[in-house]
Amino acid sequence: MATQLTSAGPGRRAPHGGRHRTEPYIVRDSAPVTLTGLTAKVVLLGLAAGIAVWAAFPLVEARAWAGLAILAGTTAAIFYLYLTRRHVPAKYLVPGTLLLIAFQIFPILYTASTAFTNFGDGHRGNKAEAIVAIQTASVTQVPGSTEYALAVATTGDPATGPLVFLVTDPATRAVYAGNAAGLRALPEGEVTVNSAGKVTAARGYTVLDAGQASARSAEITAFAVPTPGGAIRSSGLSRAYEGKATREYAEACDCVRDTATGRTWTADEGAGAFVAADGERLAQGWKVGVGLANFSRVLTDSTISGPFLRTLLWNVAFAVGSVAATFALGLLCALALHTPRMRGRALYRVLLILPYAMPSFAMLLVWRDLFNTDFGLVNRLFGLDVDWLGGVWSARLAVVLVQMWLGFPYMFLVATGALQAIPRELTEASTVDGAGPWQSFRRVTLPLLMVALTPLLISSFAFNFNNFNAVYLTTEGGPFPADNPTAGATDLLITYTFRLAFGAAGAQYGFAAAISVFIFAIVALLSAVSFRRTRRQEELYA
Amino acid sequence: MRTVPLRHAVAAGAVAFALFPILFVLSAALNPRGTLSSTELLPTGLSLENFDRLLSETRFASWFANTMLIAGLASAAAVFLGALAAYAFSRMRFRGRRTGLLALLLIQMFPQFLAIVTIFLMFSTVTELWPAVGFNTPWGLVLLYLGGALGVNTWLMKGFLDTLPRELDESATIDGATHAQVFFQIILPLVAPILAVTGLLVFIATVNEFLIANVFLTDTGSKTLSVGMYGLISGERNNNFGVFCAGTLLTAVPTVLVFQFLQRYIVSGLTAGAVKG
Amino acid sequence: MVAAALALSLATTGCGGGGDEPAASDSPAAKAAGGRLVIWADTKRTAALKPFADRFGQENGVTVEVQEIADEQQTTFVTASQQGSGPDVMVGAHDWIGNLVQNGAIDPVQLSAEQKAGFAEIALKAVTFNGQVYGVPYAMENVALIRNTDLAPQAPATVEDLVATGKRLKAEKKASEILCLQVGQSGDAYHLYPLYASAGGYLFGTGANGDYDPKDLGVGTPASVAAFEKIRALGEKGEGALKRSIGGENSIATFTAKKCAFLVSGPWAITDVKKAGLAYDISPVPGFAGGKPATPFVGVQAFYVAAKGKNKALAQEFVANYLTVPDLAVALYKAEPRPPALTAAFDQVKAEDADLDKFQAAGRDGAVLPAIPEMAAIWDPFGKAEAAIIGGADVATTVNAAAKTISGQIK
Repeated sequence: MATQLTSAGPGRRAPHGGRHRTEPYIVRDSAPVTLTGLTAKVVLLGLAAGIAVWAAFPLVEARAWAGLAILAGTTAAIFYLYLTRRHVPAKYLVPGTLLLIAFQIFPILYTASTAFTNFGDGHRGNKAEAIVAIQTASVTQVPGSTEYALAVATTGDPATGPLVFLVTDPATRAVYAGNAAGLRALPEGEVTVNSAGKVTAARGYTVLDAGQASARSAEITAFAVPTPGGAIRSSGLSRAYEGKATREYAEACDCVRDTATGRTWTADEGAGAFVAADGERLAQGWKVGVGLANFSRVLTDSTISGPFLRTLLWNVAFAVGSVAATFALGLLCALALHTPRMRGRALYRVLLILPYAMPSFAMLLVWRDLFNTDFGLVNRLFGLDVDWLGGVWSARLAVVLVQMWLGFPYMFLVATGALQAIPRELTEASTVDGAGPWQSFRRVTLPLLMVALTPLLISSFAFNFNNFNAVYLTTEGGPFPADNPTAGATDLLITYTFRLAFGAAGAQYGFAAAISVFIFAIVALLSAVSFRRTRRQEELYA
Repeated sequence: MRTVPLRHAVAAGAVAFALFPILFVLSAALNPRGTLSSTELLPTGLSLENFDRLLSETRFASWFANTMLIAGLASAAAVFLGALAAYAFSRMRFRGRRTGLLALLLIQMFPQFLAIVTIFLMFSTVTELWPAVGFNTPWGLVLLYLGGALGVNTWLMKGFLDTLPRELDESATIDGATHAQVFFQIILPLVAPILAVTGLLVFIATVNEFLIANVFLTDTGSKTLSVGMYGLISGERNNNFGVFCAGTLLTAVPTVLVFQFLQRYIVSGLTAGAVKG
Repeated sequence: MVAAALALSLATTGCGGGGDEPAASDSPAAKAAGGRLVIWADTKRTAALKPFADRFGQENGVTVEVQEIADEQQTTFVTASQQGSGPDVMVGAHDWIGNLVQNGAIDPVQLSAEQKAGFAEIALKAVTFNGQVYGVPYAMENVALIRNTDLAPQAPATVEDLVATGKRLKAEKKASEILCLQVGQSGDAYHLYPLYASAGGYLFGTGANGDYDPKDLGVGTPASVAAFEKIRALGEKGEGALKRSIGGENSIATFTAKKCAFLVSGPWAITDVKKAGLAYDISPVPGFAGGKPATPFVGVQAFYVAAKGKNKALAQEFVANYLTVPDLAVALYKAEPRPPALTAAFDQVKAEDADLDKFQAAGRDGAVLPAIPEMAAIWDPFGKAEAAIIGGADVATTVNAAAKTISGQIK
């Protein structure tokens, strides 16, 4: 990324206002170095080096050499960048870009890569984890076996010595010491047992207290004392039971076998699951690559592709409608307040940004209640009896209206800022030229505003195109036609497809990622097209 | 002069539209039995019981403090990072400029809730190696938010920089100023209004952010307002509606204060003066 | 100069570098202090658990942290666990079990026969999945009919009775609604289930061992169509007893505002009902005349041991040996009045709270809420169908479309 950002010289510059210059001014950096600048540079680079050293220690300790290499490389690159006089644009772009790569681009690429897997509930971990889960889940108490009181002890140091389970048979109060070699009875005189049957002291052993024992939690959980019927394992720190794993993984056949019934499930690497001969699957599967299966499912599954076009159209309409409504109202307010002659402007401004200051998720929920047919304030206040969220067009109107309420203060703020930035001389000049206020607005103010705001409108469109909350917290996509509970009238692509991906028996992240990639492609295309149109504008006024 | 009454009419109409649901929230917050169906537009009861419960039964104060810290840091840093990038995008020409701009826009469109899994993956490692910026720390969350510092805000600021006449910085350059001096001493003061607007927007967005904060901050003391408030209504919305509304109103207070503080920059007229010079 | 943000970005560089480097994850940080137990719960439970967690910590010389997850508890738990950032103990509803097990997120809990005997039978059945006990239940919940005894002194014997009383009250302007049963624009299968069951419908059949069988889907059968016909007759185009304008956000409030005489809800509603100061009584949800019993779903709240927790031995100790004593169940009951799953605790609190017995009576014949992962595919389409039918849509078309969607997702 960084190489792309280096200065490419004057090639792309637009001819500028008829004035002539032989050289773009910015590529040179020949001005004298000032003391302030130098000090700031030294301090900041020193700080950067300090942070890099601080960050390096844990990496060294963890022997994460690749991580360390990336850290060292990045630090070196930063030093180079800010010590050289070249690559001026990169100096301005790198700080934000590094954060962008770490916390946005990397997660996105990683997520997108899951689109080629079956990643999802039941297929989250690797095969080894699935096998552990299957075996752990199959450990059952040996029928009729004793339930022991347990004390965890050691023959050595409490933190590191070899573990021993001191177990008491509650019926006979006989005490045994158990380790990997098996169970051995302890003579009665050598042990002290409390009323609950738990050993509190034993000759030759140190009984661990809860804190000491929990420090060795993983060892204790894995500890098993072999018995003829299975093995004695801990149940917490004070009880032990004799249990047996009824399902075992055998590497030879790459299968899981149930020792009680003899049934086997063979690993299916294509599906990431253990499958029996009759097709029954064990629930605990693992993540495997599935190639383009998720993508082809998006294209071929008729429940997805069927209502796709209709949803897409409404989605575009929703995004355009939301942007248009918020922009129109926001700009109107900004214009109305854009005069020094008006009193109370400060108060108006504060009141107008209030909708934006309120937590939006809360207000979306409140709006949903306001639109309730029988109890909602909208109907009560205006004496209506409209089933707002139950009718197709009223629900659509409602979501756009809510978006307008939530979003117009944003446009108002931005437009206010933009109006302030327009030099007053320009508008005054046009008024002097005899233009009326409307003409002056049309000819001078609006075009200048659009230079500043068009990119915002595009990004606002992109935001609303995927505005999950706006729909999910108000209509949940509804109302739904009777013959299709998967695609509602106000569903956006994102709400509709995610209902499919997460509505099944557990979340299907891989599938969801594939859908996202598709949606992403659509928005990217729409935005790129509209973005191309802004170039003309930019070049015109830049 | 003639237009002033019309301007008032437009502003008053917009204010009425803006305030209508908020009045409902206020009414519910003041109603001791603040439930949805019992609430009217105008307050029927007048009691601070809900505010009292909010402050005594929840850890509202610490949510509030955390939010201010996180949103304050995030917005200040994001404005700065964004301004740096916007300056480069507006004033310099380099290979990949338009691609970079478009990429910034597109990146924002990827649904964030999918990225949650990756965030867990990354920050599980970070927490192990550098607990100071790991889960449950405001610093880690701020860093994570700063990943989005370049994005819509860069676009916003770039758009404004584009409207500033080039002659300003060009003449400075000819007078011997470095690009950094141009940026810090000429450009930044000129775009103060938009820095203020951007700062406010980031501040509000950060206060509102729920999805990531919910999984990032699990320690009760480290939560932000939006996470804490969501907890109030996640079970049954009936029960805590009044308390929730009280919290919603209080959440808006800092934003309004920040706006008040920034308003003089936003409408300062600095721009006009500077252009004259 | 320009590098003002450098410090920040560098810190980030380090993070990014470590983040995409798998080798870093097997660092020896696990050796950090041992005695720490982390519990995740939702907002309400967190407050109630705190004192007990502290006591357990003091008694055992360990630190116990109760952390609150405001939303999406189950997904957050599974995702965090998978990456090793999860808790040691999780608190949640029993119908998560199927999904938690398929993700290997929880371990079975080995309870002694004596401990098992202490629990209500249905609670134990709820946390048993594929023959293993996966959690320690602490509270049960099911819906019942709560009625305003000033408006309706007699408990209705049938749905028809209820509707007749409700209509009369409406005609007399004593109430504005017949029944407060939450539907909303997206439906609510959980609250509708008693009526659906009484009308002859079912969701999943049960296999020979009494477990739910995902292959036997009850939605889309002729019986389910017939059941929805009866529900449609109660809907907006029929009696007007079921309405989409009554949803989760206002059903209880409408009842406490005395706008309806009957509320179908669970123990969680009682706090509000009491606060409203109205005279009420609780009875089982009535069935249709001549129909099957209106069995509600019984849900159980349980503690789970995280399979990838850092301190499993202590977690097992806490869940299996510390939570099985009645004190905690009583305290959790006091934080939120749901009937305790431990019989001893139930008996202890029922003396002071007659409502508990009535709720339990209402759930006596209830069906355990299915914990199989396939259940997740039912809620949404079923709810949508319910809302459409209550709004007056054609029953056969709607139910068949829902059935098609559900079976398409179960596959």
